[in-house]
Amino acid sequence: MTVALEYYVLLSIALFCIGLFGVLTRRNALMFLMSVELMLNAANINLIAFAFYHGNLTGQVFALFTMALAAAEVAVGLGIILVLYRNFRDVDVTVPTTMRW
Amino acid sequence: MAGTGIFSYAPAIALFPLVAFVVALVFGKYMPKKGAIAGIFATAGSLVLSLAMLAAVAGGEVYHETIYEWTSGAVASEVGADGIEFTFGILIDPLSALMLVIVSLVAVLVHVFSLGYMNAEGETGLPRYYAELGLFTFSMLAFVFADNLLMAFMFFELVGLCSYLLIGFWFRTKSAPSAAKKAFLVTRFGDYFFLIGVVAIAATFGTVAFAGDDSFVTAAETAIDDGTQLFGFDAQTWVTITGLLVLGGVIGKSAQFPLHTWLPDAMEGPTTVSALIHAATMVAAGVYLVARMFGYYALSPTALAIIAFVGGFTALFAATMGVVKDDIKQVLAYSTISQYGYMMLGLGVGGYVAGVFHLMNHAFFKALLFLGAGAVIILMHHEQDMWKMGGLKDKAPVTYYTFLAGALALAGIIPFSGFWSKDEILYDALIVGLEEPVILAAYAMGLVAVFFTGFYTFRMVFLTFHGEPRSEAAEDPHPVGWAVKVPLITLGVLALVAGIANLAPVYKLTGIELTFLESWLDGEYGAVEGLTYSAYGELLAYEAGTIGTEQQTVLIAAGVSLLLAFSGAGVAWKLYNVPEPSRHVTKLGGAYTVLRSNYYQDEFQVWLAEGVTQPIARAADRFDRTVIDGTVNGVSSISLFGSNRVKRLQTGIVTNYAALLVAGFIGLLLVLGLYGGWF
Repeated sequence: MTVALEYYVLLSIALFCIGLFGVLTRRNALMFLMSVELMLNAANINLIAFAFYHGNLTGQVFALFTMALAAAEVAVGLGIILVLYRNFRDVDVTVPTTMRW
Repeated sequence: MAGTGIFSYAPAIALFPLVAFVVALVFGKYMPKKGAIAGIFATAGSLVLSLAMLAAVAGGEVYHETIYEWTSGAVASEVGADGIEFTFGILIDPLSALMLVIVSLVAVLVHVFSLGYMNAEGETGLPRYYAELGLFTFSMLAFVFADNLLMAFMFFELVGLCSYLLIGFWFRTKSAPSAAKKAFLVTRFGDYFFLIGVVAIAATFGTVAFAGDDSFVTAAETAIDDGTQLFGFDAQTWVTITGLLVLGGVIGKSAQFPLHTWLPDAMEGPTTVSALIHAATMVAAGVYLVARMFGYYALSPTALAIIAFVGGFTALFAATMGVVKDDIKQVLAYSTISQYGYMMLGLGVGGYVAGVFHLMNHAFFKALLFLGAGAVIILMHHEQDMWKMGGLKDKAPVTYYTFLAGALALAGIIPFSGFWSKDEILYDALIVGLEEPVILAAYAMGLVAVFFTGFYTFRMVFLTFHGEPRSEAAEDPHPVGWAVKVPLITLGVLALVAGIANLAPVYKLTGIELTFLESWLDGEYGAVEGLTYSAYGELLAYEAGTIGTEQQTVLIAAGVSLLLAFSGAGVAWKLYNVPEPSRHVTKLGGAYTVLRSNYYQDEFQVWLAEGVTQPIARAADRFDRTVIDGTVNGVSSISLFGSNRVKRLQTGIVTNYAALLVAGFIGLLLVLGLYGGWF
């Protein structure tokens, strides 16, 4: 008994929208980063679901790559947050606005 | 035309002085005589090689070879030649071989004379002086044997640069740098047209070579014969236009009206330099260029008539100014302008041989006169005003007699060299003038100038050497050494005998073959095909008339000019060959002021610059600042204003960027969806 493809896609959309909402509304950089992770994983769900549906492994392999990349991204992102904290004593993303004109 | 035998040494003629330039510049300080020795040896080497070239050409050989090709292009020219090559090449034919000898001979003598004139005076900056002399000689020699117009132009410019350096040799005075600048700018004004002319000729014919089948002269001849249209003109008009553009450079360098004003000021340089500039290098370069590309001018009667008229006018114009000068060098300066006017007149009436003949004779007697003036200046303890001289005849016989020889040649008194060449020019002008009124006018001016030449020449001689001494310096002249006397005697002999080269009137009257120079330039010994007197004669469109028979015409022409020369000299003798000569200026009345001010030519040119050019430049500047700058500034302020508004999009808050990104993505999806037909 298999779950129909539509449900995976719906799950993925829901997860992505939650992530997007987080990116657009949260001010805490850590939450920001987590939201990005959610969006990435929404994409992963899509990849795996369609790989299963088409019966080839390419999508799954791709998902593995995405995870590895996500790990790297988190490392860089956390580094940026650390520096942010050191400079501004805060992790609010709306505080550092000096890098504009 | 391979570079065999003696001709393989041809580049050395110019390179010797170049080496002397480097040596004098680098080591001059440590050398005895401060570099003079290097210069003398180098120019003597050039002279020996030039004489060898002359002998080889007399033996029937010519040399035409490309030494170095520095670029070539494949652009088709107006007459359809495939491409163009820019090269350095050497052309040694009768004309250039003769000129090489003249230039290197005068250069040697000037170097030797400098020992007495510059070294003996303990001048500072002697290494610089000798280095510049070397560079000057190098440029002129390379100009003379150039085988194409572009190379000629380059060395023409280098000659101009060297004259600038040498005229401004005493750069600590106020007047010398100013005169140097004037010489540079005025000749540069002419050279500007020359440059355009070179480009025009290159673009039209795809070649800048003087000689051979692929020369621009041949190409122009073909174009005229075929009736080709060049840049919308018929071929002959175009040849006239380009020829006149090149003539601009000639007029500047050879100090023809209206670009003659630099030359009298150039007397600020050392007298030796004046001798070199006037006799053999700078000023001669212009006339030599006309002779070099005479075939081209011969194709255009209009250009020739203009050359003749400008020449005739300059001859008279400058001669009248020479009449009232007090400075011995100034008199000589105006005589130079006048004599180059004669050469232009000679060339302009198709008297190629006559023009070149006068160029040669003038080189000798004018170098003699300038060196003689230099000797007088030494005698007079650096006094140049003729009214403070007098009575030098007995105290300095060598200087006097050689100077007299030069003066007789300049005035055109038989049998000195100047008579023969000037007479030939006037004869050529007369026979053409009998058919062409314009040329007749030019001839008339040249003829009147003969009287003035005789007058100012002997006024100078009498004031300088005759009468009673009029200053302490003149009573007790400074002695001159062998370095002064040797060049004077050499040139004095040449001024006397050089006329033998072409005794055309004798030939026409008696039939005795004494026209060596004519045979020489006609290629009887050897010449490059198409560059001979008779080849030019075929191109000329002039018709010659005579008064009575040819013999009678010769006699009339020679008689009239000789009579005028003698009467000029006679008037000078009457007025100035007295113990205490007076100025006689009141007799001239208002004319004196005009002549003394050089016909206000300098004032006129300054007015041209300040009264005409400057307002135009100011108006152009205003236009530039208001209209052009306004447009540019307007465009930039619009952009500045626009971006000032748009940059507010950049808030610096990362969330806003993410929102914009999403909005943009959604917008893109919608657009793609609408146009892609998803809905």
